[in-house]
Amino acid sequence: MGRVALRGIRAHLVRFLLSVLAVALGVAFVAGTFSLRTMLSSTFNSIVETTMLGDAYARGALEDGAEGPSVAEGGDVGGARERIPLTLVEELEAVDGVATVVPDIAGQVVLVGADGTAVINTQAPSFGMAYDPDDPTMVLSDGRAPATAGEVALETVTMESAGLAIGDSTTVIVGGALVPVEVVGEISGSGPLAGATITTFDEQTALEVFAPDGKTATIAVYAEDGVDQAELVDAIESVAAADDAEVLTGDLMREEASASIEEALGFVETFLLVFAAISLFVGAFIIANTFTMSVRQRMRELALLRAVGASPTQVFASVLIQAAVVGVLGSLAGVAGGLGLVSLLRVVFEQMGMDLTGSIPLDGFTVVVSVLIGTVVSVVAAALPARRAALVPPVEAMRDDVADVEHSLRTRAVVGLLLLVLGGATVAFTALAPDSITWVADNAGVMLGVGAGAVVIGMLAIAPVIARTTLRIMAAPFVAGLKPIGTLARGNVTRNPRRTASTAGALMIGMALVGAASVLAASTQASTATIVEDEFTGDLIVQSATYAIPQEAIDTMADVDGVGSADAIAFASVRIAAEGEEPASDYVIGVETVAFDRALNVTVVDGDLASLDSGEAAVKRADAENRDWQVGDELTVSLDGASVTVPIGAIIDTRALGSPVILPMDVYERVVPATASTVDTVIIEAADGVAVADLQADLTETVKPYVILSVMDQEAFASTLADQVDQVLTILYALLGLSIVIAVLGIVNTLALSVIERTREIGLLRAVGLGRLQLAGTVTIESVLTAVFGTVTGVLVGVGLASALPAVYADEGLTALVIPWASLGWMLALAVVVGMLAAVWPAVRAARLPVLEAVSYE
Amino acid sequence: MRALAADLTGAGHIASARGLVKVYGKGETAVRALDGVDVDFARGELTAIMGPSGSGKSTLMHCMAGLDTPTSGTVLVGGEDVGRMNQRALTKLRRTRLGFVFQAFNLIPTLTAEENITLPLDIARASVDREWFDLVVDAVGLRDRLDHRPNELSGGQQQRVACARALVSRPAVVFADEPTGNLDSRSSGEVLGFLRRSVDDLAQSVVMVTHDPTAASYAHRVLFLADGRLVGELEAPTPETVLEALRAYSPAGRPAGQHAAQVRA
Repeated sequence: MGRVALRGIRAHLVRFLLSVLAVALGVAFVAGTFSLRTMLSSTFNSIVETTMLGDAYARGALEDGAEGPSVAEGGDVGGARERIPLTLVEELEAVDGVATVVPDIAGQVVLVGADGTAVINTQAPSFGMAYDPDDPTMVLSDGRAPATAGEVALETVTMESAGLAIGDSTTVIVGGALVPVEVVGEISGSGPLAGATITTFDEQTALEVFAPDGKTATIAVYAEDGVDQAELVDAIESVAAADDAEVLTGDLMREEASASIEEALGFVETFLLVFAAISLFVGAFIIANTFTMSVRQRMRELALLRAVGASPTQVFASVLIQAAVVGVLGSLAGVAGGLGLVSLLRVVFEQMGMDLTGSIPLDGFTVVVSVLIGTVVSVVAAALPARRAALVPPVEAMRDDVADVEHSLRTRAVVGLLLLVLGGATVAFTALAPDSITWVADNAGVMLGVGAGAVVIGMLAIAPVIARTTLRIMAAPFVAGLKPIGTLARGNVTRNPRRTASTAGALMIGMALVGAASVLAASTQASTATIVEDEFTGDLIVQSATYAIPQEAIDTMADVDGVGSADAIAFASVRIAAEGEEPASDYVIGVETVAFDRALNVTVVDGDLASLDSGEAAVKRADAENRDWQVGDELTVSLDGASVTVPIGAIIDTRALGSPVILPMDVYERVVPATASTVDTVIIEAADGVAVADLQADLTETVKPYVILSVMDQEAFASTLADQVDQVLTILYALLGLSIVIAVLGIVNTLALSVIERTREIGLLRAVGLGRLQLAGTVTIESVLTAVFGTVTGVLVGVGLASALPAVYADEGLTALVIPWASLGWMLALAVVVGMLAAVWPAVRAARLPVLEAVSYE
Repeated sequence: MRALAADLTGAGHIASARGLVKVYGKGETAVRALDGVDVDFARGELTAIMGPSGSGKSTLMHCMAGLDTPTSGTVLVGGEDVGRMNQRALTKLRRTRLGFVFQAFNLIPTLTAEENITLPLDIARASVDREWFDLVVDAVGLRDRLDHRPNELSGGQQQRVACARALVSRPAVVFADEPTGNLDSRSSGEVLGFLRRSVDDLAQSVVMVTHDPTAASYAHRVLFLADGRLVGELEAPTPETVLEALRAYSPAGRPAGQHAAQVRA
């Protein structure tokens, strides 16, 4: 039987080709994700290996109680720890066995390149650090070390991407100020740094701007020859303990760093794998369709096998063997494709200045898992057709015509309708449930997910039931306008509604996601526009490309003629606890209380904003509800040993301010040192009688030297926020694109196979005079109808489900529901184009069939 | 062209072939399916083509109908040189001047009987001559079956729909390839009776390939083929005279009609 199965594949290779391709594309996504992860993790680990060379590290103890924020939450490893005094450096140097001690003195800087713009390398950080001649991770390869405040040395790749050379003058924004500097030296790192921008300063300057409090996060300790890491740790432990610092070996420190990198990459990997899974799921439809059609066509052959003694199990297995062959072939091609994809990505990253490790990693894990996934998906997808094949009665072999038994769709109708109703009801209930039913709000995500899943599966199940009627309606214009091919095409798409529906189903899934994403994006954009309009009452808004506005720039702007007021919104990562609560990492915002009179408009739910003038805190309603905070409760906000306890004076509703606790600026500054604080937004109010447009022009000119700042009016600000949403949307579309491509292949596949299946019919049509163009037209209309059916059902599902989101996530800032009719219209147009493209190959094949052979095709 | 056609065929002939040769394959494996056939089909007659398997009868019909291209020789149908036509012209010829009835799979399963009948006209975007349509439909006796799909019709009914489809565009000639090959004798009789009536009452011309002496007896004239050549003909045949002729013309002296019928020459 195995031989029969393999011969069957070989004889009809072309029929399985698109299935192989579908598996290959899905698996390429999986394999690509795995190798991208391996490549990124080896890149970042080699950064760890080459930049963390210490034999031991001293660092502060963990802050009270809880563990630090994970990397995914935006914190870094040192974030939840106390800082340790720099005086420890000298004490450590005095210990026997210690060769060198290098404190970590670094912070965010902006380097202005030769072209006058900031050197920003996509997502890679830009930081400044102290140049330490003893630091083995930094080698001065050219020029000299920076010696005074006006001098810097740049890392080699940074130098290149900035377009600067030794002797050039430029500016850096460091410590909140614009500083003119001269490039005096070049520093070589010892490996790829993934495009990070690195500027080094003389020690004195670095200490002033990055460690004005005389503290640092970590201190690297290098041992003398012959002293191993454990001995070194033993030697310095007591010295460090005196300053409340803990000591660990270099290996352990590197392991911790690697672990947090792996954790972050794990999220990226999971995110990508979700889309890979969608692609594979869509691919499974193609495989199922292919095998259903292949089994249907081989009915007589299978019956003959049964007649000569093959058991149903053997027939079942023979079909599964074919599926496994398709799966393995596709997977292998997919692994190769995945590697190609990652190589391509690497080149793209390189163009963007992000150096990744040289070799594309191909490990056994990637190959085995990818091939396994591809094969299992194929076999599972072919299981139903295989079952059908196994149940072919031997008498079919004697029949002249293969009976086209159409099983009742009743089960599907019932199950599908049930799922649709239950899923829809769950989603609707989640959206419309009153706030008083708290378990709904607490489990909103899960309920939406389950409901949406049920609706999608229900729609897939019910699609064949509604296909006939829906397609008839959609085909009406073709039937009326294009005689007789409209009628022929309608007949072809409705004669086997299961097939049409499952072909369209593959497209439906992708289109549902695209439709949902577009509704979500449009609603988000509309919501943010409302927030900007309602809550930012100032005339102009200043933001920075690095999300940090230098203090000096704020002061300069405040001094510009025509500026009535400039209110900075500062934030910091701190630890917050109410009485009896464990301190938890969270963000706090600091703002001058007068800003609420002129720049910000928030709704007070309880208490009084005036209480902020007397040093009390405002908290956001959603957080207050979640954590059961009341007006009058005392909150303790702490950071680095400093802490302040304030009563809650007001509970407010705001979406402009993104953190749970808002402190008056003077209280905020008591906890948060300038180095830990970031100003991300400045709201400017024009003085009386000053035209906003003129002021905007003046300010734009003023902040020009700070290359990262932009001065926006409300409209521009809203559209900047909208652009950010669009960027995310573009990435989503790109990731969903593959599943749509696979779905289109599915349409090609079904059409091509049904052209083969209908060879005699086509021969007959041609014999009675149907022209080639007319025949191609028929196939094209079939294709367009299938694509439009998939798109319409998908968009209905996607838009319907996404419409529930604003009702559920209003508290998170999603207040408006906007259905982007224009985008949906484009999707429909896209479906027509996609349908036409998918039809090209099958139509050409059909038109090229020789009439005589087709008529006598068995 | 027209002048030549008139010259070759004469007024009474609806289709003619001269020196028709069809060779399949090349070199040693080449098969001469048609080996120099000269034939004329009369207007207003039902002509049957008979012969043993491999005699070339189907090939002859395919070449006459423009479904296959002869290796050499001339084919004229309704005064037009089929051999010189490109695909586009052949397609047009098929839908305007020719009608077809095949042995099986004659109807598009997704169309109703009526839609199947008018298909050639719809393809040609020509309007349906209702009077003629009614005449044909009544002749095949399918008035009450027009809304049915092919799978709701019996084999004989399906073949009658196919006959009606072949005639609806008033073609110059209808080619029928074993039209009763899959039918029982009663249904066969209905179909053949209709084909004969379409000639006698509706003044059509029909060429039919068959291996069945009874079917051939419905014809005005029977042509006998063997080894790619025309070996004889019979006017006003009866089943007995046809059987006799078959015995005389087949090489081994056995009736070709009992041979496996579905193998095509």
